[in-house]
Amino acid sequence: MPSDLAIRPHAGPAAARCRPPIAHALGQNAGLILAAVILLLCIAGFAAMFWLQQQRLPGNFEITSTVNNTMPLALAAVGQSIVVLTRGIDLSVGGVIDLTNALAAIWLTGSVLHMAGVSVLIVLIGAVAGLFNGLLVGLGRLQPIVVTLATLSIFQGLAIRVLPQPGGAVPPGYTDVLVNPNQPTALVFLVIAVAGWMALRRSRLGVGIFAIGNDESSAVALGVNAMRTKIAAYMIGGALYALAGLFLAANATAGDATTGDGYTLSSIVAVVLGGVNLFGGRGSAVGAICGAFITTMIVNILFFSHINPLYQSFYEGLFLVIAVVFGALIGRLVRGRR
Amino acid sequence: MTRLLPSVNALRVLAAYGAAVLLFVIGEWVHPGFASFGSVTSILLVASFVGLVAAGQCFVILIGGIDLSVPWVLNAAAILLVTTSLGEDGRALYAVAATLGMGALAGLANGIGVVWFGVPAVVMTLAMNGIIEGLALGLSGGMTCSTCASYAPPVIAAAVHDVWLGIPAALWLWLAVIAVVSFVLSLTRFGRVTYAIGNNARAAYLAGINVNLTTVGLYALSGLFSAMAGILLVGFGGQASLGMGTPYLFQSIAAVVIGGVSILGGSGSYLGAAAGAASLTALVSVLLALNMPDYGRSIIYGVVILALLLLYGREQRE
Amino acid sequence: MTEAALRGMDASASPPDQATAVAAIKVSKSFGGVRALRTASFAARAGEVHALVGENGAGKSTLIKLLGGRLPPDSGTIERAGQPLRLAGPADAAAHGIGTVFQELTLLPWLTVAENLLIGREPRSGLGLIRRARLAPQAEAMLAGLGIHHIDPRALAADISLAERQIIEIVRVLIRQPRVLLLDEPTSSLVEREVEWLFARIRELAAQGSAVVFTSHRWKEIASIAGRITIFRNGAEVGTFTGIDEAEAITLMTGQHVATLYPARAPIPSGASPALELTDASVNGGARISLALAAGEILGVGGLAGQGHRELFLGLFGAPPLRHGSIRIGGKPARIASPADAIHASLGIALVPEDRKSEGLLLPLPVRDNLTLPILSHLSRLGVIRGAVERRMSREMIQRLGIRTPSAAQPVGALSGGNQQKVLVGRWLLAESRILLLYDVTRGVDIATKHEIYELMMRLAAEGKAILFYSSDTEELAQLCHRVLVLRDGRIAAELTPPALTAEAIVAAALHDADSDNAAIRGATGDDAARGAAGDNEARDAVHDEATRGAVGGNITARGADGGGTMRGAGGDSVAMRGARTRGTHAE
Repeated sequence: MPSDLAIRPHAGPAAARCRPPIAHALGQNAGLILAAVILLLCIAGFAAMFWLQQQRLPGNFEITSTVNNTMPLALAAVGQSIVVLTRGIDLSVGGVIDLTNALAAIWLTGSVLHMAGVSVLIVLIGAVAGLFNGLLVGLGRLQPIVVTLATLSIFQGLAIRVLPQPGGAVPPGYTDVLVNPNQPTALVFLVIAVAGWMALRRSRLGVGIFAIGNDESSAVALGVNAMRTKIAAYMIGGALYALAGLFLAANATAGDATTGDGYTLSSIVAVVLGGVNLFGGRGSAVGAICGAFITTMIVNILFFSHINPLYQSFYEGLFLVIAVVFGALIGRLVRGRR
Repeated sequence: MTRLLPSVNALRVLAAYGAAVLLFVIGEWVHPGFASFGSVTSILLVASFVGLVAAGQCFVILIGGIDLSVPWVLNAAAILLVTTSLGEDGRALYAVAATLGMGALAGLANGIGVVWFGVPAVVMTLAMNGIIEGLALGLSGGMTCSTCASYAPPVIAAAVHDVWLGIPAALWLWLAVIAVVSFVLSLTRFGRVTYAIGNNARAAYLAGINVNLTTVGLYALSGLFSAMAGILLVGFGGQASLGMGTPYLFQSIAAVVIGGVSILGGSGSYLGAAAGAASLTALVSVLLALNMPDYGRSIIYGVVILALLLLYGREQRE
Repeated sequence: MTEAALRGMDASASPPDQATAVAAIKVSKSFGGVRALRTASFAARAGEVHALVGENGAGKSTLIKLLGGRLPPDSGTIERAGQPLRLAGPADAAAHGIGTVFQELTLLPWLTVAENLLIGREPRSGLGLIRRARLAPQAEAMLAGLGIHHIDPRALAADISLAERQIIEIVRVLIRQPRVLLLDEPTSSLVEREVEWLFARIRELAAQGSAVVFTSHRWKEIASIAGRITIFRNGAEVGTFTGIDEAEAITLMTGQHVATLYPARAPIPSGASPALELTDASVNGGARISLALAAGEILGVGGLAGQGHRELFLGLFGAPPLRHGSIRIGGKPARIASPADAIHASLGIALVPEDRKSEGLLLPLPVRDNLTLPILSHLSRLGVIRGAVERRMSREMIQRLGIRTPSAAQPVGALSGGNQQKVLVGRWLLAESRILLLYDVTRGVDIATKHEIYELMMRLAAEGKAILFYSSDTEELAQLCHRVLVLRDGRIAAELTPPALTAEAIVAAALHDADSDNAAIRGATGDDAARGAAGDNEARDAVHDEATRGAVGGNITARGADGGGTMRGAGGDSVAMRGARTRGTHAE
């Protein structure tokens, strides 16, 4: 057709202008791939260090305890990444985990059915907390960082009200289901989380989340309901933080209303290490899970290298900066080639 | 309708001061004597610590950044001060200089990371917090070193507690800081440049402003103020303790935002942030006076912040 | 590529169905204190191609935004097929069969082309989940069905060129088969072959009974495809015409006689050493250029966009500095590593950048602050700004340039485009710059202010300032400049002086070999040139766009910086019918 915009370069077929799909897949997922690579390197490093110390490779016990210890952070990181994808941030993570952890310690008694019901209720409470955040951000048009700063305080207060002193007890049966101390069965839950993420990406809501993070006004022009999408994102986050609180309670077998506080900043670190862009629109929850494991691996490596534990934060901070700078360099190289 | 007042949104600042006054009135009502001169000054003294940290936070938030390294720069400053001065007045000057220098250096590193390496402010300052924590804990042996239990030199304690004209010296210091910082932000080139960068860094660059240098300088200032707060806190409390800096991070951010400074940068003033610090401290004090338990204070603290934000903290439509 | 081929179907033939497809009835819209539309009315019929013309600030873009649902009217109604509508947004408009390609592209940069195209209508599996593997093939098929074979659906929107993004934006609307198609400056970033493609699609749509409305500044395009033409001036319609000629249209658009637009050129003072000499510099990593600019001279730079102009201007200002080459100012070697160096009193260079809203002005800050920004050090004593001096200087400059503002404390964002531009120029006059680099300073400026700016330029040159002037309007270059250098591919392709200095000559030198240039533009190297400095992909993410690919003389309208519907003229309109006319003459 003469009106075809079929302008072909002088040599080669039209398709030659297009890069092979694999090149695109690599370039566009650079953050995730980098996170996976760093994770593998950390695992390798840990294995090497372990072998030097113990003359054997890390076995079932080490893997299981690593997985169980990382579960809360991994789940919190997934929730945080979904919020960050909308160009937001959630500082109330710690508060929700505090609250749900405290509730779990008190309510998890009785029959299996009762405990299952309580678990569902707790997750719902997390979702309600997220709803609160989402309404303030989406409907109230307040900035996420300040809203979640305030709600953090509210949730922390509620947690202390529920459980003024560390205590409560989580039945061993519950612990066995969530964070089985003998097998890394908790990985199953991670697989479910990843499946959930993949479903989200393929849903209208997921597309809306990415769209808003890219450019909110364009997304709105395209028919995305910004308010509802943001509310949904914060609610999903809240539910995941609640799950993290449950896993934390199961792992610790008791409750503590302040034990979740550190997860706020840790979840942000995990998200960043996982290649999720803090300005929204780019990244994957799978990367956030990798980031959570990288965080734990670093702690393990530091432990096994017999570094003075007082200096632990120093190395963690240093690692974070180096990882981010390194990642940015790689990202620029990958895209700069085009 | 867009309220395009330049730099300072007078209404927000007034609202912040109004909130502080209101809180004192409420306090007086539920607990007579709350608003007495002595009571107000001691509450404001406590507020001054938040206020000092908020000054540094204000500077970086004005250019759209943030400083999450406050907790441990503050804590490290406290530890450094006591271990360097060993409680002796003769070493006080040297100790203060070294401590402030440490704070500025930490801030400088933050600025360099943000500007040169393109690390987002959230990440860089968070990492710096960890780095300083590790260094402080490691070098002091977890605060078990022989000198760690030293007291602050008496001259520093005096600089906090001495009362002139009925007002504690540290409060005078804060008032002076308010005056100086407000002056700098509204009447000097440095202040004008800060607002310009916060509004549009590219346009500022093309007008000949050295955006990078100013940014690094602002982060250094933030570190300086955190260190200053650490020095005064240890003068107030006598000894350094672990975790003394933690509450000041979120409080400083809250104070700045309540004071009408946009978290996105480019507008707001330290006058407002100071009012924010006063309001928040007054709020906590009122709740304490009401014998409100721990959890209630937390919850109400958060609710009040949200209420104030909803009243006047909304950003303009993007 | 002749007009005959472009005409194709005569789109102005009366369609059998005269029904009004979409109409605006007595609509008004104001932004801040400025009335963009004043009880304007407009109607487009089914099956016709209807052009909207007018100069900047006339209200065309605002009207499109109202019809397309992007903004609600302050008063008046929008109707679709005779039924009044209250549109909640462009998506709502789409539900009523109205598809709009706005001037500000709405592609999501970190999504792929395929994801952008299919957003909201992705292929789904039985479970209702999107089949991601099918996105790219389906997008590819859609593109092929519309005759596009060269855009990779797997590429990120941020990684394709501006013209390709414009095409994808158009395709996204076309695939929904709109009954009303609205296009705001659709060809601003497209080269001729792409424009042909678009017009073929437009004709197809019109033949199927859809109404097509588009705004443009290029008379040649309008003449070739539009059936009826509605002229807007000052926020209201002047009339709707068929078969009007360009000169008449211009008179109606501007309401004034065109001949007095350009002031007379002053002679260059002789003998003075060059104010600025550039030797052997490279703007695109390849070819080298040298140029010399004398005090009192207006040296024009012309050529197709993307050939190195932006790099040249930014490089002379140190933002970033040019690779290779050396610069002498006033005969002495100068090292310009940053804008601060360039602005320094010893060099006295000023840059009025392309996009005043995102690169020049600090919109929420007062006029006064914007005026004095570069000279704050001079205005300060020990770091403290001398307020009285600042107020006096800004007051004087406002008066001198006739800047219309209620006060010097007014936020500059509330001023009209023309006055904003004056503030920018005033800033550099306050800085007493001796060398002015003016980059497309009349873009998005109404004609009266344009005239004022021309007079100002002449006055400044007469006062001894050296001016380097880039414009996308070849007639401006031909009329205002003492000399014009035409850039092509980072080289100086031609140097034109009167009497050889005409708009046609500039166009000829810029295009030189039209066919191979078009191919070059398409091929890899051309793309890189069009994208600005090699590897400078980050610049694309920045709010300021890289130079677009409009043909010279057409009106280079890079996407206006965040219009958001609040800025007059959507920041992108510019005049120059004369440019389009010269392009036409060249083609014949």
